[in-house]
Amino acid sequence: MATQVFKVPDSIIKDMTYGFCPGCDHGVAIRLVAECLDELGLKENAITATSIGCSVCLYDYLDVDSVEAPHGRALAEATGIKRARPDKFVFTYQGDGDFASIGLGESTHAALRGENITAICINNTTYGMTGGQLGPTTLLGQVTTTSPTGRNVEYYGYPIRIAEHIALCEGTAYSARVSLDSVANIRKAKQAIKKAFEYQLKGLGFSFVEILSTCPTNWHMTPQKAHDRVRDDMMKVFVPGVYKDVLQKV
Amino acid sequence: MTLTATKPEGKVLIKGNYAIANAAVIAGCECYFGYPITPQSEIGEFMSGKMQELKRAYVSSESELASINMVIGACSTGAKAMTSSSSCAVSLMQEALSYATAEELPVVLVSVMRGGPGLGNIYPSQGDYNQATIGGGNGDYKLIVLAPGNVQECIDLTYKAFYLAHKYKNPTMVLADGLLGQMMEPVTFGDYPYPEVDDSAWALTGAKGRGRRVIRSYAPSADDQCVFLNKLYAKYALIEEKEVMYDEYMTEDADLIVASFGSMSRNVKSAVKIAREKGLKVGAFRPITISPFPNKRLKELSCSAKKFLVTEINMGQMVRDVRLAVNGKVPVEFYGKGVGSMIDVEDLVDKIESLIEV
Repeated sequence: MATQVFKVPDSIIKDMTYGFCPGCDHGVAIRLVAECLDELGLKENAITATSIGCSVCLYDYLDVDSVEAPHGRALAEATGIKRARPDKFVFTYQGDGDFASIGLGESTHAALRGENITAICINNTTYGMTGGQLGPTTLLGQVTTTSPTGRNVEYYGYPIRIAEHIALCEGTAYSARVSLDSVANIRKAKQAIKKAFEYQLKGLGFSFVEILSTCPTNWHMTPQKAHDRVRDDMMKVFVPGVYKDVLQKV
Repeated sequence: MTLTATKPEGKVLIKGNYAIANAAVIAGCECYFGYPITPQSEIGEFMSGKMQELKRAYVSSESELASINMVIGACSTGAKAMTSSSSCAVSLMQEALSYATAEELPVVLVSVMRGGPGLGNIYPSQGDYNQATIGGGNGDYKLIVLAPGNVQECIDLTYKAFYLAHKYKNPTMVLADGLLGQMMEPVTFGDYPYPEVDDSAWALTGAKGRGRRVIRSYAPSADDQCVFLNKLYAKYALIEEKEVMYDEYMTEDADLIVASFGSMSRNVKSAVKIAREKGLKVGAFRPITISPFPNKRLKELSCSAKKFLVTEINMGQMVRDVRLAVNGKVPVEFYGKGVGSMIDVEDLVDKIESLIEV
């Protein structure tokens, strides 16, 4: 008897053209989000505020109600949605530039207010859609189109550690950083996303998952090399782990 | 604050800012998001207590950027939601207003003008006529803008703003000024006089029993964007046809028509009365909707009047719309004052006399 070993999640749109670059982790991340929505039965009750950058493409893949926010304002819109309709499941899916640069005020204050919403942030250390410029999480020494000799402190200052920053906010119920560089870590990433979603369902406050991701196109790397970079360079600065968990007293 | 009941019986003496806030509550505003700025802070102060008392949504936001985007989020679910602000802070909302028009969301924004440009000062001003009617957001879009001339109209037009915003799915602004916001007048609230608009065809509620809905402005195809813009501008044409409001006083036989909006129109009316007593054939015209602007009526009036005078507490903003409406048929003069109190009635009478004698 045949056993089904692969299934496209119900929360994924079926008749779409896949548009992300080869080796980009957005596809994996969105699939994990979709699987968690499916498993928790949230697809029909979810509303998402999308962001600007490659992450805006979420609404091309995810089969849920969504409203598009200006750059950096997704968590303000999500706050408005949740305050207006507290019974809805509300989440954002943002890049590091959207979440931690132009939107850092909105992100921080949503966490401080303990808004009962979930934010997923893709950290790929660059502005991908605009062609690979320096962003808030660009590593020291990293070459981008706007740091042609590498990020130096004199001109650019330091990258932000997002999961640690959000963990410092008292309204945060859960803050974790995960990576998609290996099958084992992809499994851990899914567990973190699911936990973040469950914390919203339990009404515990702001829940957050930072996902370390690749940008092979702008890093000028093969998909495999890009994942090696996540493991060898990014994970040393942006260390995966759970930085806040109100139920585990972390 | 003197109001204890949400719907006070009969006449009450109340400040414009409180009148706007309480009218929003009576209109069924479910969510208020705001950041303090003088001269409208009483609106947020009132809402902070009243919305919590009524178990409705209230957020003291971290910035005006956040306030207006919280309104967008709430409106995307079909909720009645608003923010209020002033001048330099309304500047911060221009991006979101462009998005909200492209996303066809019923955003309600109250702007209580202060002096500008820049930080300016907190004196009454009408310097944000252009900000309200033209705006600083990107792309082709228009707001519906209602300009009250007294505290009673602050109430009536707040009611109307919620109705029009939802009826046309377009951001709608009530444009008051520091004088109206801080002035007390006797008013009546009554009930919210408009029907509730059904938003079930578009509001985000979760895709249960239907396909998912996406409220977005991003239009990757130029052709699709042209189709959308044509639809948007057909809506604006309909709003202009159906919703233009204005107030006229003794214009029928007037040689000179004095046009003004908002609180400035109060002194204009007094000046016209005095000028009439002196035998001068003068009338007053006041747009209540400044967007859409009463172009058609002004064009008609330019067939009977010999001259227009536009008077504003700014350096000349609405005067351009009057000139466009009149289209060179008769001269349109301007008499303004950058910021501060309204132009004195005596000075207006002198100006009227000088223009009629010429």
